[in-house]
Amino acid sequence: MHGRIKVRTTEEQKALKHKEQQKKLTAYRMGMQQILSTRKEDNYDPVSLDICTQLLSVNPDIYTLWNYRKEAILIEIEKRSVKLLMVYIAVRKNEIDGEDNIIKFLENEFRLTEQCLLANPKSYGSWHHRYWVLMNHPKPNWENEFSLCTKYSRMDDRNFHVWDFRRLLINKIGITLSEELQFSTERLNANFSNYSSWHYRSTLRNLDRESVGTELILIQNAVFTDPADSSAWFYLRWVLSNPTVTKDRRQELLDAFGQLEELEPDCKWVIMAKCWLTGSLVLSDKDYIDRRVQFYKQLAKLDPMRKGQYEDYLKAAELNASHVEDQKS
Amino acid sequence: MATLIKDIKLQDNIPNNILFEKHIEFIKEYGQDENNYEYGMTDYLRVSGMYWGLTALELMNTLPSHTLEKVAEYIKQCQDPKTGGISACVGHDPHILHTLSAIQILCIYDNLKAIDTEGVVKYVASLQLPDGSFTGDKWGEVDTRFSFCAVATLSLLKRMDAIDVNKAVDFVASCKNFDGGFGSKPLSESHAGLIYCCVGFLSITNRLDIVDRDTLAWWLCERRLHWIDGDALRIFILACQDTETGGFADRPGDIADPYHTLFGLAAMSLLGHDFVQKVNPTYCMPQHVIDRLQLKPQILT
Repeated sequence: MHGRIKVRTTEEQKALKHKEQQKKLTAYRMGMQQILSTRKEDNYDPVSLDICTQLLSVNPDIYTLWNYRKEAILIEIEKRSVKLLMVYIAVRKNEIDGEDNIIKFLENEFRLTEQCLLANPKSYGSWHHRYWVLMNHPKPNWENEFSLCTKYSRMDDRNFHVWDFRRLLINKIGITLSEELQFSTERLNANFSNYSSWHYRSTLRNLDRESVGTELILIQNAVFTDPADSSAWFYLRWVLSNPTVTKDRRQELLDAFGQLEELEPDCKWVIMAKCWLTGSLVLSDKDYIDRRVQFYKQLAKLDPMRKGQYEDYLKAAELNASHVEDQKS
Repeated sequence: MATLIKDIKLQDNIPNNILFEKHIEFIKEYGQDENNYEYGMTDYLRVSGMYWGLTALELMNTLPSHTLEKVAEYIKQCQDPKTGGISACVGHDPHILHTLSAIQILCIYDNLKAIDTEGVVKYVASLQLPDGSFTGDKWGEVDTRFSFCAVATLSLLKRMDAIDVNKAVDFVASCKNFDGGFGSKPLSESHAGLIYCCVGFLSITNRLDIVDRDTLAWWLCERRLHWIDGDALRIFILACQDTETGGFADRPGDIADPYHTLFGLAAMSLLGHDFVQKVNPTYCMPQHVIDRLQLKPQILT
């Protein structure tokens, strides 16, 4: 049970709640009984399907009920194709209403999944059902889904289900990579501390000399705006792992972070980034002074919860420093 | 994720040890009353719930052996004779999540013979797609959680030969992200729960070489517990105990449940608590069961 706070109640409240709960439990059991006892391979009971709608809108995690709906949909689709076939054979055009029926039938599914997602935007079953229905729909309206997706990302821009859904949709609508990059830049500029936006950007980016330059500017804007937020620093670590970042560019960043440190002396991320940069400069230039030992000592003080981690890094840096000394002498 | 920092102010009256008796009572009481609301409304989780509760009892050395028959009988009723898969409870549909939980329970009891294990193997194999991924059931939802369930189930049954392991590995590898973590599908964001599944998957398939260790450890301190402050974590977990009802909650002050009770105990075991049985981190099962099965999931040293 995630995030359900325990509340103290009086005996009277307890008794009342118990009574209500027993009513709900009985209703749930009767509903399930009705659905499962009428479940057949080749037909479904419309009354049971209605009960199913009610039960799912209260709890979208009852996975078997989504399966039950899918079976009903497949039965309807089958009916429609039989009808279309008959129409085709008889060429009775005035009876060609099979498509309308199924579209109307599937409207229920969109309504129900949307209702479930409003109450629980992280329901795996609801998202999958919606996508499954779209894939089985004779005329899926992807544009409409795209607006829905935008709406849900406004409600919670960290919900990975929404980002996954967007990814599925852009392939259907034919949005180009550069349009998505543009979208990603806008999202980041609106909120640099959204980790999901940085992740999304990483999936759009093939790092090369040119894109690395753009990304580093974006990162610099972000970390100067909010140095205490970790998201852009994670992204920086990834970009710096790319071999096309030149020595000069690393030095420039090091200087910039030096300025940032003066403004924010207690920000551990700035010092950590200086470690990454110094480390790689030391590797490429034997004359470069390795100051990571000092940085890690600083970090252990600033962030005592992760002291063990910094001490490990410190050992590695000291080992490297002694190697360099040996080579110099 | 690291950005999501919700500070929790811990109360002063944190228990200074694990309240074993309370937890044992909590788990044993759970499900004794068919008409208990929380229990009755969660029948669609039942077999997994049994795994959480029974494993928690075993980790506390109190799994009652006389429950063996009853549990096996229940699981047997949940096995679908047509597909071989196991459902959460009688009348519901088979799903790989409950199939794994059922096999884990039967392994703990050393009672695999109670069900049609060949049917289980067939079911799991039937869920693999050409790209190596696994669906949770016949309705097509793909997720790396199900890749973990598939190899965990088949390795416990010693039947990894029933699937294309190389392709399964390729799929999980394709879910690795820029931050070293893993998501539910290729290009999906990293998430601690999915990292557990993917690292567990790679541990079972002996392919931890795919993990970008330094990046991931930095993100998550996954296998390097000395990197995070063990004492602070221990105090946090102890504070999640409900001193009245027993059981652990997801965070201090929330309602306790069997799921967090198992993971609370497992975490205490990994932190080296003397009176909790050693837990195997890949399978989240007692280590003596994994040893009995002679399984050696890979670990990073």
